[in-house]
Amino acid sequence: MSIAAINEQLLRAIGVGVAVVRASDFGFVFHNQPFAEWFGTPGPHAALTDAIEGLSPEDLGPLCEEGLRYSAELKIKRKRRTLVFAINISLASHLDEALLVVECQNITRIRELESMIDSYSAMVERNTRELEREKERVERLLLNLMPRQVYEEFKTFGVVTPQLYPQVSVVMLDFVNFTDFASRTDPTVTLGELNDIFTAFDRIVEQFGCERIKTIGDAYLAVSGMPEPVPEHATAVAHCATRFLRYLDRRNQSHQHKWQARIGLGTGSAVGSVVGIQKYVYDVFGPAVNLASRLQVFANPMKIVAPAEMKEALSEEFRVTDIGPEDIKGIGEVHLVNVGGELSTPQPASRF
Amino acid sequence: MPQSIYEKYGGFSAISRVVMTFYEMALESDQIGDYFADVDMARLIDHQTKFISSLLGGPASFSDERLEAVHRALAISHEDFDEMGALLKAALEQHGLSEPDVRTTLSAIEAKRNIIVARTAA
Repeated sequence: MSIAAINEQLLRAIGVGVAVVRASDFGFVFHNQPFAEWFGTPGPHAALTDAIEGLSPEDLGPLCEEGLRYSAELKIKRKRRTLVFAINISLASHLDEALLVVECQNITRIRELESMIDSYSAMVERNTRELEREKERVERLLLNLMPRQVYEEFKTFGVVTPQLYPQVSVVMLDFVNFTDFASRTDPTVTLGELNDIFTAFDRIVEQFGCERIKTIGDAYLAVSGMPEPVPEHATAVAHCATRFLRYLDRRNQSHQHKWQARIGLGTGSAVGSVVGIQKYVYDVFGPAVNLASRLQVFANPMKIVAPAEMKEALSEEFRVTDIGPEDIKGIGEVHLVNVGGELSTPQPASRF
Repeated sequence: MPQSIYEKYGGFSAISRVVMTFYEMALESDQIGDYFADVDMARLIDHQTKFISSLLGGPASFSDERLEAVHRALAISHEDFDEMGALLKAALEQHGLSEPDVRTTLSAIEAKRNIIVARTAA
């Protein structure tokens, strides 16, 4: 078999539609099988521009005159199917007669797949964004239940090791006559009021670098000095306490419902941990918490009571007056002090 | 969680091959071919792949309202729907889905019959 015969055989066999036409009249010299399948077998006098609809003699003008390669993507309807062909035509002018070599590839499937890839990438990106948002929501939720440092430990290891913090201070606030208020007020109003007040408390607590641990009914508990140790933990909780009262005082002037609270401060050690397996919640317990809880009962409405051991830490910044010794259930005799207003405007000790 | 049919056969790439085969057959069908004569096949294959995937436990989702909206103007008859089911069955079998999985897929499609077939043609 001659080389020419082998070449022709190859042209017939490939999946690309190939045709050779005269540049003078676009009459066919050769076409292979795929070309005939797509564009029909050209008759003896058929021209290329007749066989391929959408291809005009004007398109091929620059090609024949200047030898520029012609490339186009043509959509051609075959029965019910619209097929997309990439058509390349080049001039083979070094022969005796100028001939055009026509290559046609069916790129319908490629175009379909490309558009699917685009569509799926968009879908994956959308799903990823939704997952991210969901993750952030879960994170925000968990950060409401536990301090960030504890959350990071929980996220990494799946558990939180209970930790003893030897030097922390606690502020515990309880509303006066809350049960009475709750029983004679619509629950949604009660909840709305509490939500409003606790949200304001949260902002105060954050401002002074403390950590709100929980609310138990109408009681509000925050700590300073855990999970990260803070040297000025006593003054931090005292500042929160005075701000809580000042906030309530101002709120009462413009709101229908008047709220009064008692506040107890405590200092000492506390244990912090995530309690529970399924309904886990970060909790603190220990002497400092018990002390604050007990002392709060000793406070008059809109007053703050602290153990005398906090006096030294607080006296520089607050008006501290002695109350005297009191027998505290489960703790014994404790010297108490009353913490009044701030002596000067404090610098908020933000942790950030 | 048991593996979905979508995952079992290789996700979108497998489903899209079934859908392409299905549309090649659908275009040849005298019963339903004309529905597809003038549509943008690339978009249709894309939508249909996501639709079938969603029925088989894949990540895409289609609401019944949307399904109803896109088919509302087409006046699809029960015969058309049956033909579509038969062609899809052939396409699924051709791509090697097991007999129970083919049945599950077809019953998932069947569950949407009332949404896809035009109300007046019912």
